[in-house]
Amino acid sequence: MATLLEVRSVTKRFGGLVANKEVSLAISAGEIVGLIGPNGAGKTTLFNCVTGYTHADAGRIVFAGADITRARPERVSGLGIARTWQLVRTFGRMTVLENVVCGALKRHARVGEARARALRLLEFTGLASREDVVAANLTLADKKRLEIARALATEPRLLLLDEAMSGLTPAETAAAVELVRRIHGELGLALCVVEHVMEVVMPLSQRVVVLDDGEKIAEGPPAEVVRNDAVIKAYLGEHYRGRR
Amino acid sequence: MAGSSGRRSPRVVLAVGVVLGLLYPIPLQWSGYTYFQTVGFLVLINAMLGVGWNVIGGWAGQFDFAPQVFFAIGAYTAAILFVHLGWSPWLGMLAGVLAAIGICALVTYPLTRLRGHYFAISTVAIWMIAQPIGATWEFINGSRGLFIPMQTGQGVLGSIASLQFVGRTKALGYYYVAFGLLAVALWLVHLVERGRLGFYFRAIRDDQEGAEGIGIPSRLYKVIARSITAAVFGAGGVLYGFWALAVFPEQVLDLNWSTLPIMATVVGGIGRLWGPVLGAFILIPISQIMSTTLGTGPLAGRGIDLIVYGIIIVLIAALRPTGILSLPWSRWARGLMRRRASARLVGRG
Repeated sequence: MATLLEVRSVTKRFGGLVANKEVSLAISAGEIVGLIGPNGAGKTTLFNCVTGYTHADAGRIVFAGADITRARPERVSGLGIARTWQLVRTFGRMTVLENVVCGALKRHARVGEARARALRLLEFTGLASREDVVAANLTLADKKRLEIARALATEPRLLLLDEAMSGLTPAETAAAVELVRRIHGELGLALCVVEHVMEVVMPLSQRVVVLDDGEKIAEGPPAEVVRNDAVIKAYLGEHYRGRR
Repeated sequence: MAGSSGRRSPRVVLAVGVVLGLLYPIPLQWSGYTYFQTVGFLVLINAMLGVGWNVIGGWAGQFDFAPQVFFAIGAYTAAILFVHLGWSPWLGMLAGVLAAIGICALVTYPLTRLRGHYFAISTVAIWMIAQPIGATWEFINGSRGLFIPMQTGQGVLGSIASLQFVGRTKALGYYYVAFGLLAVALWLVHLVERGRLGFYFRAIRDDQEGAEGIGIPSRLYKVIARSITAAVFGAGGVLYGFWALAVFPEQVLDLNWSTLPIMATVVGGIGRLWGPVLGAFILIPISQIMSTTLGTGPLAGRGIDLIVYGIIIVLIAALRPTGILSLPWSRWARGLMRRRASARLVGRG
């Protein structure tokens, strides 16, 4: 499969803190990659580097042949990377439909077309009945779902989900996992999923990348990664190994 | 049925408002007491400025406290072109609007690095810079300003073409010009609100990072939003300059050219197309009537109108921070209609 995103030994420092230390990873078209690691491992920083909210101090990031190491977020979005946030960033005073229309306007300049596209995405993400609700009044699960719908409206090739399931009830989590599977299966998008909940990320991912303290310590199929001693020590703990 | 009447009733209100607005100055003209026509003119010009401010302040959510700079740029541009080159004020208005947009875009782009309070402070700083420039720049006559020579003895069409109404029809003429400009401003801002720009402005207001993440260049769209505001203020400045027959820094850079439109917008309903119109309709007459009625009595010169202003703003801020238009008017109207309908049924039974 063609490599879509390539992160080449990216380093990002905040003062004395090294948030990412020579991290490399590649994501192919149509692949689901899980990105895991304990709190402060540098997962969100890596997302921010890729999507242009901060820029790497060293290394290169290439997406579909374009160097995006120093690109601004709006350019990264235009090239086909969309993302969601750990702390949701929906447009609180706009309705659910208007939120998604904003995303669709990038590819459909006319509001009427963008609206039609947005309505189809609300259908797809199961938010159709909430169309006229002001986003601030949604539940957390629906806000996260709305962020995904809005991101999809930009018609990306790669979707980065930053803890799309954290803070959700088990039932909501199951529904969110189902949505991610459909985005992968029906829309054929590549996904990079940052997640804390192992039970979610392991069965979902085709490949898992583990960060610890800013460094990549393991990479491979989920079944192999959970047996990796460095990973167990750093993150999963004896508890998880015991259950395998 | 309820749905269709819900859509129709705002149009009825609009039509009634337009007719009343057009008829308002006529009985005053007959009576020969044109002062209230001038009050109407001030309501309309402040409403228009508020409609313009709503774009940057209401939809884009960036607090611009110095749009009067663009009011001044519009007024000066048209006045210079008229006095030195004899340009028609309408051409001058076009030039003034373009100058306001151009200068606004140049000045605002660097400011958009700043956010929240810091952006607001920087707009005030631009106003503070504009004041000494206006007061000392000899090309525009410094603090003496420019006087616009009065043109008398024109017919109706001549007065409209030269944007100069004199004598008995002065207040009447400027009232209708302001009415027309307000209509144009409302129409343009309505198009902006409904289109892609309106969506992008509100997206940036609600969450700038979120907006950038879906491909919206936030700085560019903030510049566009403020330039639209500047265009409306530029046009307003031209109208005001020709009404006052003079343009000088203390007058066109007066703080009231931002506070009154902003207060009208906030009182009427920020981020709502008609909010500033309603707000100006409430605030400006109170100020004018207060200053004429209390200005002569024992309370003269104590700024009672300003105190009343303050109280109204505080009340609305406390009771309805999103403005009068955000109250559930359509629900109340429907409730009223239903009550009337049921009263009819009871009467028949």
